[in-house]
Amino acid sequence: MPRKHFLQARPFLALGLIVVAWLVLPLVVKSLARVSFYEFQAPALLSASYLRDLQDYWALRVQSKDELIAAGRDIAHTNARYELGIRENEALRAEVERLERLLNLPVHTGYRYEIARVARRDFSIWWQQLWIRKGTNHGIPVGAPVVYTGGVVGRVREVHATTAVVDLISSPNIRLAATFAGDNRPVAYLGVANPQFANPHGRVQFVPGDIAASAAAPAQLVTSGLGGIFPPGLVIGRIQKLTIGPDGQFKEGEVILDERLSSLSEVAVLVPIDDL
Amino acid sequence: MIGVEYHAAIRTRILAFYLFIALLVVVLFGGLAYRQLFSVEAFQERERLQNQRRILNPGPRGEIFDREGRVLVANRPRFSAVLNFSEYALRRELRETQLRLVRDIREGKIEDPGERLDRHARARVVEKYLTECSRILGRPLTIERRRLERHFNDQPLLPFPIINDLSQEEFSRLLEQLRPGSPVQLLPSTARHYPYASAAAHTLGYIGSTDELPTEGLEGADLQTFIAKGMYGRDGLEKQFDHLLQGQTGYSIWVVDPNGIQDRLVSSQTPVAGKPLNTSLDIDLQLKAEEVFGDQSGAMVVLDIHTGEVLAMVSKPDFDLNETSPFIPASLWNRLNEQEALYNRSTAGLYPPGSTFKIITASAGLRHGVITPDTVVECPGYFMLGRFRFVCHRRSGHGPVRVTDALRMSCNVFFYETALRLGPEKLAEEGRLFGLHRPTGVEIPAEATKMIMPDPEWKRSVGREAWTAGNTANMAIGQGDVLVTPLQMACMIASYARNETTTTPTILRRDRGARVPIRPNQPIGLRPEHRAAILEGLFQCIDWTATQHPGAAGTGSRAKIPGINLAGKSGTAQIKTLRRGTFELAWFVGFGPVEDPKVAWCALVIGDQPDEEMGGGAVAAPKVKPVIELYFQKHPPQPPPPTSRFAAPAAGPG
Repeated sequence: MPRKHFLQARPFLALGLIVVAWLVLPLVVKSLARVSFYEFQAPALLSASYLRDLQDYWALRVQSKDELIAAGRDIAHTNARYELGIRENEALRAEVERLERLLNLPVHTGYRYEIARVARRDFSIWWQQLWIRKGTNHGIPVGAPVVYTGGVVGRVREVHATTAVVDLISSPNIRLAATFAGDNRPVAYLGVANPQFANPHGRVQFVPGDIAASAAAPAQLVTSGLGGIFPPGLVIGRIQKLTIGPDGQFKEGEVILDERLSSLSEVAVLVPIDDL
Repeated sequence: MIGVEYHAAIRTRILAFYLFIALLVVVLFGGLAYRQLFSVEAFQERERLQNQRRILNPGPRGEIFDREGRVLVANRPRFSAVLNFSEYALRRELRETQLRLVRDIREGKIEDPGERLDRHARARVVEKYLTECSRILGRPLTIERRRLERHFNDQPLLPFPIINDLSQEEFSRLLEQLRPGSPVQLLPSTARHYPYASAAAHTLGYIGSTDELPTEGLEGADLQTFIAKGMYGRDGLEKQFDHLLQGQTGYSIWVVDPNGIQDRLVSSQTPVAGKPLNTSLDIDLQLKAEEVFGDQSGAMVVLDIHTGEVLAMVSKPDFDLNETSPFIPASLWNRLNEQEALYNRSTAGLYPPGSTFKIITASAGLRHGVITPDTVVECPGYFMLGRFRFVCHRRSGHGPVRVTDALRMSCNVFFYETALRLGPEKLAEEGRLFGLHRPTGVEIPAEATKMIMPDPEWKRSVGREAWTAGNTANMAIGQGDVLVTPLQMACMIASYARNETTTTPTILRRDRGARVPIRPNQPIGLRPEHRAAILEGLFQCIDWTATQHPGAAGTGSRAKIPGINLAGKSGTAQIKTLRRGTFELAWFVGFGPVEDPKVAWCALVIGDQPDEEMGGGAVAAPKVKPVIELYFQKHPPQPPPPTSRFAAPAAGPG
């Protein structure tokens, strides 16, 4: 009878021993185990991501030739526009450098773009994060801003050898200094707990009383560039309503973020030139 | 067989014992029931008073606007980085630090710091976060230990500020680079902001910080209360209208833990901003008036003749109001006091009015018939009164002059003669008729009250020697004991322009809200030809140029604006000060257009050097011209009616 009881309790005993062993393990071993877990997990994550890309590729292969030709034409137009934009940017950059030299200004902090595919999206009420297919091997640092064509995506929270975790701008872990388009006073943008499957949103605080927003004339929130992380002018979201906050002096309101944030497949990590 | 011993007495004793125990139980439960059922409110109240704390937060002050709705005084956000010890994570960190200290001391790893360990732990935690902020901001930050202890002794519930008044960039850096759950929080408050820096500094006034906030009607008056610093007006409009500008205080009531730190919010009320104040000032005129003064000491008042509204009020030297916000540093306070820059010369400065007082002398002489518009007095350049020689400002003399000429050329001899014929009582009575003996009642604190309109009775009352004819002669030209403020002189000339005796000035927009008391008024009571003679003299003072009338130019000709008829009177006076010696004062009062008066002014320039020679026409009149020119650019005058140059306008509220 005691033997039977012992046999029945053996799994719990084993679990208890493992827990005790984990508790008494040195901190270095624990950290190593944790890092290893992510690094061992990464190949599976990457493989799944590449398989999805392959799946998308074969899905595109079944498109008709007419559709491909039309798409190719659109791409050619877009490329032409971009080409023009690149030339204008080069001219502007040269002008900025000339003015900086002329006025003896400190050189503007530059960024290098590292384009990365999204490997996984994790959305819950507590966190919203992306796994991207680039990491320390590609020079991505912790804290680097991540952007896409619609504006700010978020910030890199963890970096592994070939992957990195990005906190989305809708995540409660994100807080940044923003400004309203056309105004230069900084306000606070905060990510909040977002319910699953709902459109992502955040909050804006410390808005001066003279700024107004309505559904008919929403105000656009952009990065201020003052916080030292994000460059200025990147779109964060739009605000349709502002109300007086609990301090009675500043307004606050909900920031409606771009719906594309929850279906991103490719992002750009801004790596400060200093970090190279 | 075992026999049982039976004791009847024992049973009785046991019964009594049981009864006693039962009684005790009844008393115990009765007491418990009494406390639970009947005393519950008293205990709840004691628990409430012991466990709850109230925090008061001031409401933002109301803004101040000029007459065109431009913000003169606003609130700027002021951010501080604070450590909020009511945050659970920080409280836990504090406890852990303290426990670690105890362990380290026991194990001999560190020496006993020789102070209470909770304080030492607190300092360590604060130091840790200060270092983090210092790294983010890229500048060294320190906190005095004494300040930390004082905060926790006096205001343990309020967040402890580690960096005050963050710049926009510092605010942004901390916001972006501190992790969202960091115990370092960014706390907003407001400070006064003055977009026009030193403009109207004395009129607008400045604020101070206070721990006393209006708390009427707020919940939790019996609770131990902690008060976040508020603001109160210390001078100027900020002080005068503090009750309007002061915001409505907000509060929050918290249940606190045994350490006195917030644990649970019970109730709260949001602070509400104070009411806005619409002033009568025109910031364009104000800036222009201050610009023409530059660094020169003095004062200027520009009034709307019909409403008594103050359009501009200058007092120099002045100061940048932004330097006084959020509070005046001691070094600035000392410097401003040394320069006498805190003192509003327009309303609180008492000065002899010099020759501008000749308007009063002329008016009294005509009223009482001692002169007529045609009375001629010969001016040889001096006037002998007994053995005393009273000089005219033109030593070679003005020759034969009438009242109009005397006003134009500011001939002293004419007015000596007039005043001596009149007597000091009637002269003083005329001054009093125009309110020169009393404060104007403008809504600016600390208006002078000790203005002097002297007469023999006054001189006796202050215990000085008997009145002499020399006193009368001096008084006739606005010297001697006569003392007035620039605002009074502006009101006097505005009244004259309206053909009335009283102008009640106001710094508020008459048509926006606040009621402005109106003083009783009456017509001047001069015969039209007498008033016309005076106005003609004032007109010629500005409009007769030396090129038109060689040798007889008006003293105020430097204020002439082509195409607009103005009337004015210059004046020069001396003032003796104990600290700085004798200084000359240059005055220029006037109004315009003479056909339909709209605006009146009084400018006073104070010599910066002892015995520096200054003339009202040469120094003060040119300062008035650009200001009045700007006024007429903004309010172009109607073409003058062809019939009368000096039509008496309809009476206004002044």
